[in-house]
Amino acid sequence: MRCLHQIIVAVALLLTSCMRWEYGLMEQFNATADGVFITNEGNFNYGGATLSYYDPTIKSVENELFYRANAMKLGDVAQSMVVRNGVGWVVVNNSHVVFAIDTETFREVGRITNLPSPRYICFVSDEKAYISQIDSDRIIIVNPKTFTVTGEIVCPMTTEYRTGSTEQMVLLGEYLYVACWSYQKRILKIDTRTDEVVDYADIALQPKSIVADKNGKLWVVSDGGYEDNVIGYESAKLCRLNPDNLEVERVFELGLNSAGDATRSASRLKIDDSGETLYWINGGVWRMEIDAEELPTEPFVAPIVGSQRSLFYALGIAPATEEVYVADALDYQQRSIVYRYSSSGELLDRFTTGVITGDFCWKR
Amino acid sequence: MMRKGIIIVLMLVSTLSVRAERDWLRDGLEIPDVEVVAQRPMRDIGVEQTKIDSAMLRQNISLSMADILSFNSSIFVKNSGRATLSTVSFRGTSSSHTQVLWNGLRINSPMLGMTDFSMIPSFLVDKATIVHGSSSVAETGGGLGGAIKLATAPIMQEGFGLHFVQGIGSFSTFDDFLRLTYAKGRWQSSTRLVFSTSKNDYRYCNYDKKENIYDSENNIIGQYHPVERNRNGAFCDAHILQELYYKTKQGDRLSLNAWYTDSYRELPLLTTDYGSTPDYENYQREHSFRGVVGYDHIRRNWRVGARAGYVYTWLGYDYSYNKVVATRSRSTINTIYGSVAGNYSFEEAKVLLSGNISLHENFVCSSDGTEGYVADRAEFSAVVSARWQPMERLGVAATLREEVYGTRWSLPIPMVAIEGVVSQKGNVMLRASASRNYRAPSLNDLYFRPGGNPNLRNEMGWSYDAGISSEVGRSDIYKLKVSASWFESWIDDWIMWLPTNKGFFSPRNVKKVHSCGVEAKASLAVRLAKDWRLELNGSAAWTPSISVGEAISAGDNSIGKQLPYTPRFSASVTGRLTYRSWSLLYKWNHYSERYTMSSNDVSLTGKLPPYFMNNIELEKQFSFRWAELSLKGTINNLFNEEYISVLSHPMPGINFELFVGIRPKWGKM
Repeated sequence: MRCLHQIIVAVALLLTSCMRWEYGLMEQFNATADGVFITNEGNFNYGGATLSYYDPTIKSVENELFYRANAMKLGDVAQSMVVRNGVGWVVVNNSHVVFAIDTETFREVGRITNLPSPRYICFVSDEKAYISQIDSDRIIIVNPKTFTVTGEIVCPMTTEYRTGSTEQMVLLGEYLYVACWSYQKRILKIDTRTDEVVDYADIALQPKSIVADKNGKLWVVSDGGYEDNVIGYESAKLCRLNPDNLEVERVFELGLNSAGDATRSASRLKIDDSGETLYWINGGVWRMEIDAEELPTEPFVAPIVGSQRSLFYALGIAPATEEVYVADALDYQQRSIVYRYSSSGELLDRFTTGVITGDFCWKR
Repeated sequence: MMRKGIIIVLMLVSTLSVRAERDWLRDGLEIPDVEVVAQRPMRDIGVEQTKIDSAMLRQNISLSMADILSFNSSIFVKNSGRATLSTVSFRGTSSSHTQVLWNGLRINSPMLGMTDFSMIPSFLVDKATIVHGSSSVAETGGGLGGAIKLATAPIMQEGFGLHFVQGIGSFSTFDDFLRLTYAKGRWQSSTRLVFSTSKNDYRYCNYDKKENIYDSENNIIGQYHPVERNRNGAFCDAHILQELYYKTKQGDRLSLNAWYTDSYRELPLLTTDYGSTPDYENYQREHSFRGVVGYDHIRRNWRVGARAGYVYTWLGYDYSYNKVVATRSRSTINTIYGSVAGNYSFEEAKVLLSGNISLHENFVCSSDGTEGYVADRAEFSAVVSARWQPMERLGVAATLREEVYGTRWSLPIPMVAIEGVVSQKGNVMLRASASRNYRAPSLNDLYFRPGGNPNLRNEMGWSYDAGISSEVGRSDIYKLKVSASWFESWIDDWIMWLPTNKGFFSPRNVKKVHSCGVEAKASLAVRLAKDWRLELNGSAAWTPSISVGEAISAGDNSIGKQLPYTPRFSASVTGRLTYRSWSLLYKWNHYSERYTMSSNDVSLTGKLPPYFMNNIELEKQFSFRWAELSLKGTINNLFNEEYISVLSHPMPGINFELFVGIRPKWGKM
């Protein structure tokens, strides 16, 4: 009888054992030192985006910070991040949200929701910022102080394919310059006083990254599309533009992207704090002075070779030190590896972050 | 009557003697009313398969084959919520490694490479068989994990018949089933209609999100996990299945099966979505037709059959925000199919030879409004098998298959098997088999724009398994069957879709995977007392699926680790207790923790905890002079467990369904 009772209890426990949820507690953080935030996209449609934080002084990385500090998920595809006045703005593309967090406690201080497909945020002032959208021809205008949408700018697109697309942005004086990437060829010039598009130019196939140098010139990397792309397929390019009239002043051919070679694709154009040196990914990490006449012949960081080549996916240049951070997404299904190099190319550290590290954002 | 029914069921489950095999060849589908003999037909020599009890297929009208498989086998069913994409995989392989046959017609989408089991109502299936691992080579190619055979069957009832079931359930769910049958002389006709619709807006506590409470200065002064509804999850599915059968005087059989599906399904928002539902449209539609005509010429020791089929599928996916269309994907797939099969039994030598050639010609047109592709591919397959029973207790089998996909020839695909009864006391049988297998990339893998990779190689696998089974019982008192199998497989050039720097995904041959494990099954049917019967079925699988091969680059931590989203352990149990016209069914299943990363890191945001699921169903049959009525109530997720099968996709808590069925006794009163 006792045995039967034990069996009944065991079976009942087996039937009713609940899934072990770990809802998470809100951890306390106080990250006062300078460091770098690292956004990790996570796999699309799985809501696995995470935020990491690396302190280069003590070579320490903390992962899943947003979740640990707030006891909730960051969302699906953390695309980019900007820090302004002690607040970090994390753009989470497929969650249609931008989270604002305190950069020392990592706690949420606010959010802007119901955005179509946010990619990047660019601040004009404490009360005005622009958010680009990959699946829309509109740039959303927001008031970061009230976390509200205040307006939108309808942008003229090069092609009618898809819905239009706006990507990276850079602010020069009173003007916002926007690279239109997905199925587009265009750079837009927007007057931030009137929120109107005052000029645009078709410069290359799929311009994705845009930065401004110390001379006030614009630099753009286009990926050139891919084989059988409906809008064309051409060599990826690094272009210098005159911001006044959007004329292309210099073009460096970066070679064809190959659909069969996932590791080779021109992207992630960055510029150092002084505005003198450009960096980008194209298989390896490349570096070039803004006044160089020719492309370098060897990459600054060569791809790391295993059975296949490393898949460099994200790039960041530390302000002041000019240290180079590059993330290898590996098979896209595990934590990325971030390699940290000195400005002379010496490997200083390597650490693991989250799935598909996509962006670096320095605290100061 | 009960005894006869059990005998028939048991025969369908496992046994037909060689004698019975010959009888079947001669008499078509008529099942001889004889006592069961614990011998397998020669065509099953070396075959590891699980036949799903027909009573399980008829549990209730709201169930899809995904639900049936998850509670009646140990294979892994991955679904993203109620009435959403449900795929199955077994022995640690992926869903595209499971081949699905419907009345002999391969119904894996040639475009996607897999089958959505949530789109197959269990009431449209009369026979379901899971063919494990290398055993699938004799049925079809490409089943690196195995194959699932679904089939319809003629009715066994003369005259006109009607069966209608009305279901009503939680979340504004309505299910209807109507079957009209007519059989007279050599003709039989069956028409089945299934209609299911639901708002599917179940409530759940969203632990992935928090709602903020702000003060007048926009400072957060409080937070809480919101209780939300499943947003954008409504569906409306309709199916019609028409069957016609004719048996000639000589016993030849003609058959026609035509199945049309019309489906509208919204795609539920993730738990991490902060968009406003009214601003979004996110749904998929499917119209599909599957038709097969067959002819079987059956003689005493030989048989030849021919099949011709046609599959049409139209798939539409629409995603828009604020009426701005972001994606408008349209795909049309046409498949023409033909096959000829035959077998010959040398009775004296106890040899059964069989062969089959088949051709699938696929035409795919896929576009997302911006770009797409048009492709066609002929898929030719030929297989020959020989089975020999040199002595009463020993059987050997050898199969050789060759496949040509487009211009790609596979290397010959061999399968060898041996089995023997080592003890007649307990009918203890040992079995072993080995095979090579291939799977060609799907047309999306090769040509999808953007991202398709025409340079993909075929996936190639070797698999070995061995098993033991035993079967004991006393007629009409009890029957106990137990079996266990060990398997091992190696798959090279595993195809995976991975993101690229270009903003889209692209497939690559990236992995070499080693799977091994043990599958165990047991079933017990026992008469407890007069009018009391108990049936228990259980299965369990332990399947480590390990990524092997070389590291991609220096930091790759996936080598030697379990594949993501593949449980190491899974199990299911069903128990049915019947007393006269009452029936109580209890269903339980379990999946162990699944990793979401190839490196098997267990993170706060990236893991799927193990879960147990419990469903219960109570049915009462009423027999009147003019009709049979049934009343059935089900409780799903009995303990209201909060669980997920895929990250950030909410699943329903406890929910209820009620079914009323009627079968008029026209002309039988």
